[in-house]
Amino acid sequence: MALQRLSFRLRQTVTHVRSLHTSGCGQQQAAVVVESEPEPLSVFRTQENDPACQSEKHMGQYYALPSPHIRTLFPHGLPGRFEQQLKTFNEACMMVRKPSLEVISYLKKTDFSKPSLRYLFYGLAGSGKTMSLCHTVHFCYTQGWLVLHIPDAHIWMKNCKELMPSSYNESRFDQPLQASEWLRNFRITNEPFLSKIKTKQRYVWTKREFTEEGSLLGQLVDQGISRVKSSSDVVGAVLKELRLQSGQPESDFRMAVAVDGVNALWGRSTIKKKDKSPVEPDELTLVYNLKKLLTKDWTGGAILTTLSQTGSLYTPKFAYLPQELLGKRGFDSMDPFIPVSVPNYSEKEFESCYLYLIDRHWLQHPQSRTEEGKKEIIFLSNRNPSMMDRICASL
Amino acid sequence: MASHASKAFLSLGRINLSGVGLHKSLSRATYATGLPTHSGGGNKGRPERGHGQGFVKRPRRSSGPPRTDKMAVDQDWSSVYPTATPFRPSTVPLPVRMGYPMKGGVPPEKKGNLELIKIPNFLHLTPVAIRKHCEALKSFCTEWPSALDTDAKCDEHFPIKVESTDYISAGPSLRNPSARVVHLKVKLSSLNLDDHARKKMLKLVGERYCKDTDILSLTADRCPLRKQNQEYAMYLLTVLYHESWKTEAWEAEKTVADMEEYSWEESPSQKNILSMLVRMKVAGEGEDEEVREQLLGKKEVQEYKDSVTRLMNEGESEITILQYKQAVKKVLNL
Repeated sequence: MALQRLSFRLRQTVTHVRSLHTSGCGQQQAAVVVESEPEPLSVFRTQENDPACQSEKHMGQYYALPSPHIRTLFPHGLPGRFEQQLKTFNEACMMVRKPSLEVISYLKKTDFSKPSLRYLFYGLAGSGKTMSLCHTVHFCYTQGWLVLHIPDAHIWMKNCKELMPSSYNESRFDQPLQASEWLRNFRITNEPFLSKIKTKQRYVWTKREFTEEGSLLGQLVDQGISRVKSSSDVVGAVLKELRLQSGQPESDFRMAVAVDGVNALWGRSTIKKKDKSPVEPDELTLVYNLKKLLTKDWTGGAILTTLSQTGSLYTPKFAYLPQELLGKRGFDSMDPFIPVSVPNYSEKEFESCYLYLIDRHWLQHPQSRTEEGKKEIIFLSNRNPSMMDRICASL
Repeated sequence: MASHASKAFLSLGRINLSGVGLHKSLSRATYATGLPTHSGGGNKGRPERGHGQGFVKRPRRSSGPPRTDKMAVDQDWSSVYPTATPFRPSTVPLPVRMGYPMKGGVPPEKKGNLELIKIPNFLHLTPVAIRKHCEALKSFCTEWPSALDTDAKCDEHFPIKVESTDYISAGPSLRNPSARVVHLKVKLSSLNLDDHARKKMLKLVGERYCKDTDILSLTADRCPLRKQNQEYAMYLLTVLYHESWKTEAWEAEKTVADMEEYSWEESPSQKNILSMLVRMKVAGEGEDEEVREQLLGKKEVQEYKDSVTRLMNEGESEITILQYKQAVKKVLNL
């Protein structure tokens, strides 16, 4: 209770300080000075909501994602449990952690005339890879980049209800449902860009439908959403256009390609053809076009990826290292990439999470608020973020 | 039955002392007199069970104090247990316990303990006993050559070691079929093999080679005699050696999947990094070959090559991945 009052008081002081200074970064220094006077470990929130200004000082602290951002940026991107937490607490608070800060610092230093670099988040199951990816994507969004977010590449490899042979290339297969859904989400995220970018090529969909050269990207996307049959090819066209145009001197946008569960693109799939033989990843139009984006052929952006064992097919449960999950072909395609390790919570991060849950009145069990209870939670979850979340869910 | 017989012989023995065929019975008779037979003694009242199967217990003598009480501390143990014999609790002066402790108890003591009798014991092979064996065998041995005083010298002069086992047992036949087995061990470093020959030898030999100790072990047991197996093992070794030096025409079809270890040259990793660096225009303008040479000569690229080779050959671990990350960062100038 006293803790809550303390943090509340600090928040008041911080807002008071904010009115004096004008720059967003400058305010943070003053706030930190105020906040670090009492025990530094008990302060788990930070007012710095702009990922660009976050630094090591804010490690382990929660920052709030502004809600308009969430609706546009992550129509489908956040992990399921986090979305539920969002609804319950009515706010989206993400922890600032080292892996995402590291990648953000690299992104700030990138030279956009050089080929885009690949970053890979890897770590144990439930250690926060998807959340780190979302944090980095939020940074890209606040910087005004175009965000191409594929929330989970595994869903393109399994449970396909409609598989059609591709109209463009006979040997490949289309997935109209997944493609149209992705196009819808893409439209929500990148509204401003759709009216700015123009196509460079003429696309013919059927005998009567075609898209002229020089038409807006928005039209292309609308075409794909309305004509579900050709949506996979539309996705391919969109990706191609963006790839060609990004980094060119005349275009002024940067592109961030974020793929979660990238190891699905080189794994096996459970989709079967009519003669019950499994479909290779390269035979799917969506996967084929996405792989072209993951090469180093284009400039002016960055490629952020994570490995995911949880949704992957035919991989052992405890595999988490890059080579195990990517396989030989995947590693050769991704090489050279920068692997970023996402570990379990450190002591400080665990403290922050625990205090946040207490602050939100989530931990109702009387023993969970004691020292003993905290030690129990540490022991049971081994400081793994998702395990801790599941354990605290019933407290 | 035995007592019947003894009684009969008893009488016979008395009458016919010099009977030739009755030597045994004579000795038996002289021993048997002290004991009451079944017709005398206290078994009169007990009915015989079955006419021809008369088996009635003799009353048991109580055993006296165990021999262990009278044993001196400095006694000659090899005379108590001269050969391999089962465990006798009254003879072994050690307070040994063996068995599963029941609730609230301890393992049962040695007296009447079947577990101790079941297991093999080496009470007949104490150091003193073995020293005595060695002393007895010394007269049959020759001197160890004084020049071979270290293991390394033995390996150097006698790299091939042949091992076989002899078996002695009392039975109807002296021969034991397991005695024909011959093991031949040789270190591959003592054989003259070049790179290709060594790789081919390892592929030919497969499981029989131990990477940690670098020893090739061949076991021959297909012939009925040990001498034949020894010769066969030597023949095998000779053939392996000569075959691994030869290069066949079909060996040129060796694919990347057949390679024993990862080589960075001509690998997709090398192509990737070179094309990446060319795009980044790190090197100056020039011919393709020159640019390639220039790039390959750079320190960062060498480091990158080392880290990738280490990752592939040693397998993944946190350390190798961190090194890979450092190398990639340096190459891409982050």
